[in-house]
Amino acid sequence: MKENNGNFWIVYKRRPASLAMRIMVIISAVITAAIIVSLIGYILVNGISHIKPELFAWTFNTENMSMMPAIVSTVYMTVLSLVMAVPVGVFSAIYLVEYAKRGSRLVKVMRLTAETLQGIPSIVYGLFGYILFVVMLGWSYSFLAGAVTLAIMILPLIIRTTEEALLSVPDSYREGSFGLGAGKRYTIFKLILPCAVPGILAGIILAIGRIVGESAALLFTAGTVAQVPGSIFDSARTLSVHMYALLSEGLYTDEAYATAVVLLVLVICINGISGLIAKKLVAR
Amino acid sequence: MKKNKLKKAMAFGLAALMAFGISGCGGGDAKDAASGQDITVISREEGSGTRDAFVEITGVLSGDTDRTVDSAEISNSTSVVTQSVAGNEAAIGYISMGSMSEQVKAVKVNGVAASVDSVKSGDYELQRPFNIVTKGKLAELPQDFVNFIMSADGQAIIEEEGYIAINGEAEGYQAKGLSGSITLAGSTSVAPVMEVLADQYKKQNPDVAIEIQQTGSGAGIQSTIEGVCDIGMASRALADDEVEKGLDTQEIALDGIAVIVNKTNDVEDLAMEEIMQIFTGEITNWADVQ
Amino acid sequence: MRNHSENAMKAVFLAAACVSIIAVILICVFLFASGIPAILEIGPFDFLLGRSWKPGQGLYGIFPMIIGSIYVTAGAIIIGVPIGLFCAVFLARYCPKGLYRIAKPAINLLAGIPSIVYGFFGLMVVVPLVQNYAGGSGKSLLTASVLLGIMILPTIINVSESNIRAVPEHYYEGSLALGATKERSIFRAVLPAAKMGILAGVILGIGRAIGETMAVVMVCGNQAILPEHITSGVRTLTANIVLEMGYASGLHRDALIATAVVLFVFILLINLSFTALKRRGA
Repeated sequence: MKENNGNFWIVYKRRPASLAMRIMVIISAVITAAIIVSLIGYILVNGISHIKPELFAWTFNTENMSMMPAIVSTVYMTVLSLVMAVPVGVFSAIYLVEYAKRGSRLVKVMRLTAETLQGIPSIVYGLFGYILFVVMLGWSYSFLAGAVTLAIMILPLIIRTTEEALLSVPDSYREGSFGLGAGKRYTIFKLILPCAVPGILAGIILAIGRIVGESAALLFTAGTVAQVPGSIFDSARTLSVHMYALLSEGLYTDEAYATAVVLLVLVICINGISGLIAKKLVAR
Repeated sequence: MKKNKLKKAMAFGLAALMAFGISGCGGGDAKDAASGQDITVISREEGSGTRDAFVEITGVLSGDTDRTVDSAEISNSTSVVTQSVAGNEAAIGYISMGSMSEQVKAVKVNGVAASVDSVKSGDYELQRPFNIVTKGKLAELPQDFVNFIMSADGQAIIEEEGYIAINGEAEGYQAKGLSGSITLAGSTSVAPVMEVLADQYKKQNPDVAIEIQQTGSGAGIQSTIEGVCDIGMASRALADDEVEKGLDTQEIALDGIAVIVNKTNDVEDLAMEEIMQIFTGEITNWADVQ
Repeated sequence: MRNHSENAMKAVFLAAACVSIIAVILICVFLFASGIPAILEIGPFDFLLGRSWKPGQGLYGIFPMIIGSIYVTAGAIIIGVPIGLFCAVFLARYCPKGLYRIAKPAINLLAGIPSIVYGFFGLMVVVPLVQNYAGGSGKSLLTASVLLGIMILPTIINVSESNIRAVPEHYYEGSLALGATKERSIFRAVLPAAKMGILAGVILGIGRAIGETMAVVMVCGNQAILPEHITSGVRTLTANIVLEMGYASGLHRDALIATAVVLFVFILLINLSFTALKRRGA
């Protein structure tokens, strides 16, 4: 802080544009802060009083409007989507970084497709999942249709973060390993991947955030049944879809507030974990 | 020094913004605020069973043309309609009677208030059947569930939920101890009462699982035709081309459609003609009503 | 032997890499296969430039929705970009360390909140505010723009901030040393250097705004007409799909998928400009 209060004003009197800019910067920061405070405050103030133990009963019925099955479905949905997307995503990133020649046509095409996938709105994913999985393949509204749709949706995210993590592993590791006579596969699995794990994990956490928050893509693929799915061909609703369904009937606004609080807490947890991982990454 | 200034400025700005926000939420308590204002018409989306029934009964539908005014707000959920009317002095909308909430006011139609009795007697004209749709002969389990809905027990549940039972002299239901699963799909208006029915049915038949998809009347009927679900739910009568595909329908309940306005609105009673004119855009200002 | 397993592994990696290409092809094929015939049946001009959307009467004109999407996105950019950019400057150059430790996670939280929660907040808080201070029914172009402006804030802030921080420190210090004020140094020396990155952030924001569905559908009024005023209701392409998909069948359903095709093409164009920009930046 070089300037003291006295010449602070003198400087700005001579430079009204600078003063205006400074005011704009502060106003913008205040507006952003106000938005965050009012958004989170509004949800918490209205929601916390509606959180009741019945909302966490194991089975859903119309008396308790429990969100527990939705929470369980959210966890299942997250796990199933990740199980499909993570290996594919990590392997594609390995191919891109370790095998493909930089700047080759395949890499260019891959990068273009990954960027395209990333930009597609979730409602378009929803429609695609509906046409292909629900109608054409005849899975009807099902857990599986929802999970595959989500897996495709988070794939580019996993590929990109893994790529970055792999690229950040120094080339000297690879050279050293090859120099000692290790094969490429051995080098990748035993040496490079372990080094890249925190980065990959960060990408997975981001993906979890996206799955938890998704509603448009699931509405037309996984349906809206409020029970814990018995098999992957049953329909189920995640928390976000649960909240949408509560709102659409118009009878359960209080429960919708409570669901919003739970979603908020989930997002805070996910962000917290990703923050921890990021800190670890920096520390290394 | 500078740091302090920054903090102070932020605190002040934050306080000002919050105050602005709070005062913004508190506005609009004046009595009869609507009179003289332009009407905000709120309708449901094209294809909704509630809308289909509403436009048909009020005469907004003329021939095959839905004349709902272009400037009508469209919402795809009962909750959004209710919230919008509750928050807007000049708004008018319509929702299922079973979803009526304290936040809004239902007006009389042709001098008749919407109630279970007036719907049952037919005096309240804005009413529609809740249908279940089936294809061909039902298997034993879904048939048993239908029997339950039509029994005295099932019909009592329907009345409890604020809808109107259709079968006054039904007999009680005896559980047969069946097991298996039933899939239902269709109208979002029928789904809430169907979920209660399913809960009660499962209490008596613990080995049965019932899956209810809220997909909308049209999609529910479609799923029944395709055999994706056992029973379809529709909050409107079936169209001719749907009947031709070999579907059977059965009315399980009646539901009134409540015309709702803001609580501060002085209007208590609307003629069917006026409702039609409001929703087709012939009347655009509350001053022109009555 | 070892060569075999090395090659097998390489094949597995390659196969995985092809999955996303296949996914894009599948998405294109299935959307276009359902959408294009519908567009042809309706007539490309009637579909893209038709002013009325009345599926009950066989009128499928999505022009109001295209304009609606463009207006709402533009509004979101007008509201979100200046606030986001200035806020990023604040975070990168003004923010005390203690405050930053709270501010950064708070902004990340804003990014993680599900859109359905934003929609709910918009319906309960933003709609009454707009209704009281701007007039109209509250569900309008303005409301949707404000809500989307808020939703793209974290994207704009995070991308801009990291790009501002990536500008070498000597740009800033050099300008200060020449006697410029702090603000002049930031806005004349640092920001121009970060221009490309910030622009990329704005494009990302546009992509998010145009594709947002669940929040917009609750606050924009959904009238399928051209908005006359900033407080008139609009319907976006995304809202059109989610509103009617549940009920639609036959040509109506295909027309909705065709709406998604139009949206998809918009996104492709945005992506292409993003890639082109990055290439110019590099």
